[in-house]
Amino acid sequence: MTVVLIVALLTGAILFGIGIYGALSQTNLVMIMMGVELMLAGAMVNLVAFWRFLHPEAYSGQMFVLVVMTVMALEMAVGFGVAIARFRAKGSVEMEEAEDLKG
Amino acid sequence: MYAQAFFVAVFGLAAIGFGVVVFRTSSMVRSALALLFSQTAVGCMFLAMQTEFLGVLQIMMMATEMSIMAIFMVMFMMDPGGLGGMDMSHQKRFSIGAGVSAAVVAIAVALLSDWGPAAEQVADAEAQTRELGMELLGRSMMIFETAGITILTAMIAATAVAIPVKNLASKDDKEASE
Repeated sequence: MTVVLIVALLTGAILFGIGIYGALSQTNLVMIMMGVELMLAGAMVNLVAFWRFLHPEAYSGQMFVLVVMTVMALEMAVGFGVAIARFRAKGSVEMEEAEDLKG
Repeated sequence: MYAQAFFVAVFGLAAIGFGVVVFRTSSMVRSALALLFSQTAVGCMFLAMQTEFLGVLQIMMMATEMSIMAIFMVMFMMDPGGLGGMDMSHQKRFSIGAGVSAAVVAIAVALLSDWGPAAEQVADAEAQTRELGMELLGRSMMIFETAGITILTAMIAATAVAIPVKNLASKDDKEASE
């Protein structure tokens, strides 16, 4: 077990925690997306650390990071599309005012 | 190994610090820039862990993504400069509890698990990029292609959702009346 692996895993865990806080506490759609981005960043740090220190011969680990990066880009694209539609319809992207989307 | 541990720790602290600033500042531009710096620090962590291709990709992608995000934040936020001192958060105690719980569980797993022996050496950047290319176009080709098609679908869907809906019925009525 190496210190670098533990440092990277701790960083990933804390970034994930900050992301969860942001995604749950913010009322604005764009800020919620920022929280999700931080959670995904935490996951990527863990994946790279696992690849580098546990299985550097298996490049599927790096492939997995590329998939997570794709998910980040998709989240941004779809999130901003929804934000534009919502802003055009209601003039706001505040999620507390989006109760009409429920059910 | 000590130099690597030092740089991973420094960039890790920077990523966490800027990550906290994202939700602490009232200014939306500062918030987007803090997220950009946090993601760049994550990219630098990748570089420090000798994952050159992913590190450079992360920094380049996030620089573009966060610039776009900053523009959208200024467009959509009610108080983008943060001068009004608006509180744009809710259920704070629950959120802090959930964030701290998730982080504590993940830290406990990281510290208590037996990860086994760590690899000391890794292939150089050129060999890594070559092997990743072989992986992408070999065993993981289906995943790679699926990701590409999903991105294309998301681009079309996002554009379709974002463009204004024209009232075609009223247009037809207008033409009929003329």
